[in-house]
Amino acid sequence: MTRPTPKEIKAMTDVVGIPVDVEVATRIANSIGPAFEGFAAVAGTLPFDLEPAAFLLVQSAKVEK
Amino acid sequence: MSAEPALLSLTAVAQAIAQKRLSSREVTQSCLDRIAAWQPRLNAFMAIEADAALVAADAADAALAKGKLSGPLHGVPLAHKDMYYDAGHVVSCGSKIRRDFVATTTSTALQRLKDAGTIRLGSLQMVEFAYGPTGHNAHYGAVHNPFAVDHITGGSSSGSGSAVAARLTFAALGSDTGGSIRMPAHFCGVTGLKTTYGRISRAGAMPLSQSLDTVGPLARTAEDCALLLGLMAGADPADLTAVARPVPDYLAATRESIHGLTIGVPTAFYVDDLDAGVAKILDETIAVLKREGANIVAVELPDQRQLTAACQLVLAVEAAAFHKRWLIERPGDYGPQVLMRLQNGLAIPAVSYLEAMRWRGPALAAYNAAVAGVDAVIAPVAPVPAPTIAESDVGNSPDAESVIQRLTRFTRPINYLGLPSLAIPSGFTRGGLPVGMQLIGRSFDEAMLLRIGAAFQRATDFHDRVPK
Repeated sequence: MTRPTPKEIKAMTDVVGIPVDVEVATRIANSIGPAFEGFAAVAGTLPFDLEPAAFLLVQSAKVEK
Repeated sequence: MSAEPALLSLTAVAQAIAQKRLSSREVTQSCLDRIAAWQPRLNAFMAIEADAALVAADAADAALAKGKLSGPLHGVPLAHKDMYYDAGHVVSCGSKIRRDFVATTTSTALQRLKDAGTIRLGSLQMVEFAYGPTGHNAHYGAVHNPFAVDHITGGSSSGSGSAVAARLTFAALGSDTGGSIRMPAHFCGVTGLKTTYGRISRAGAMPLSQSLDTVGPLARTAEDCALLLGLMAGADPADLTAVARPVPDYLAATRESIHGLTIGVPTAFYVDDLDAGVAKILDETIAVLKREGANIVAVELPDQRQLTAACQLVLAVEAAAFHKRWLIERPGDYGPQVLMRLQNGLAIPAVSYLEAMRWRGPALAAYNAAVAGVDAVIAPVAPVPAPTIAESDVGNSPDAESVIQRLTRFTRPINYLGLPSLAIPSGFTRGGLPVGMQLIGRSFDEAMLLRIGAAFQRATDFHDRVPK
């Protein structure tokens, strides 16, 4: 997963309906870039049948020392 | 009995009122006196409701005189972060946008404390919409740290940390989405409990991120947090994420020894790049726990940087979604930093957000496996003590997000995993700034954290230190 470029961010915010200028798009790219890079090792690797609700199942499972 | 009732702990003052050793009016007046003295220096309160508080205190005293005790916190005056809906009261959420918003409902957590007998002192300052870790607020000014007023309190529960530390309120509700209870607890030298996701209802609490938001108390001691948690925890038809698990006797847990418990110290991440003072206090805290009978072992945790990144993806998107309407209609009414951070969420693809959400289960399972041999993990809340207000006033500058990420790097993984964490005052730097450590537990095992925290507080006096 690569960080979005300012140009891509500009297009995305236009689609969302809250357009930003190039300066803000550049700032956003710098702000969220590290999150994309930090998550890169996980992105695209998850099993097909995994869904968000799995978190609640793990959370409620009994964990003994 | 302390000459100044406001200096008592929540548990002690509640008992003193119930046993008629102190009246609610005496206690409330004592808090109001301290508020009058400290508020000009701290800016901790959003609203001070002195007359109404004294009227409520008199009513509580009159009821008690007739033998009517409304609950375990009868007549105890409290103030909370200004994001808990309280019917008929303005709830600003630290914002200009909601400056005049009058709640028509009362949040479940707050109602449960009212049902226990508490009375309202006013409301506490916070970071705008709870979206920031420092305590700055573009609309209402920064809140100041009572131990060093040119330093930050941490946020977003800035007023809660400051007011509890200065003994203006016995305890305060905060909220923790990325560290917003633990950061002020650490910087201000108070005890703060970030609860398990689902332990306390979020109904009527201003949302920031529905997958990460948690409600919890800041107070002077682990025992006080235990008392409050026991009153607030449990299922709620108004919030189906509040789980219907039994509510343990948290107060009883605080009286248990920690002899024979095993506490894990991470081998990496939480011990990397620490300020020298924080590192020293971590070592001293571990030494105290060892003296109290705990076994200390090293634990190798999964890559916490990935958790931090996943947390940022989830938080940014969910916050932007909550705020979309105002981002369209009133962007100029946000402070620069909050607007900047909300805009970040507009640029994260839905697939990335959902991948971060889908990974939570496996990530929690991997963490649980790594800590299977320990009862809790200990780690610093933040790598540094409180910076100054001036040096951390980064606004919407290009490096603002990196400053924020550095401050919250030890708290965000815990929010992503939904785990409970108790921040406890653990020492002071040479310069007199408080430093807190966090005890991280298993899902829904707040009792274990409160047990360890209380044992630590029986052996130390950091939580008893009152700012001058």
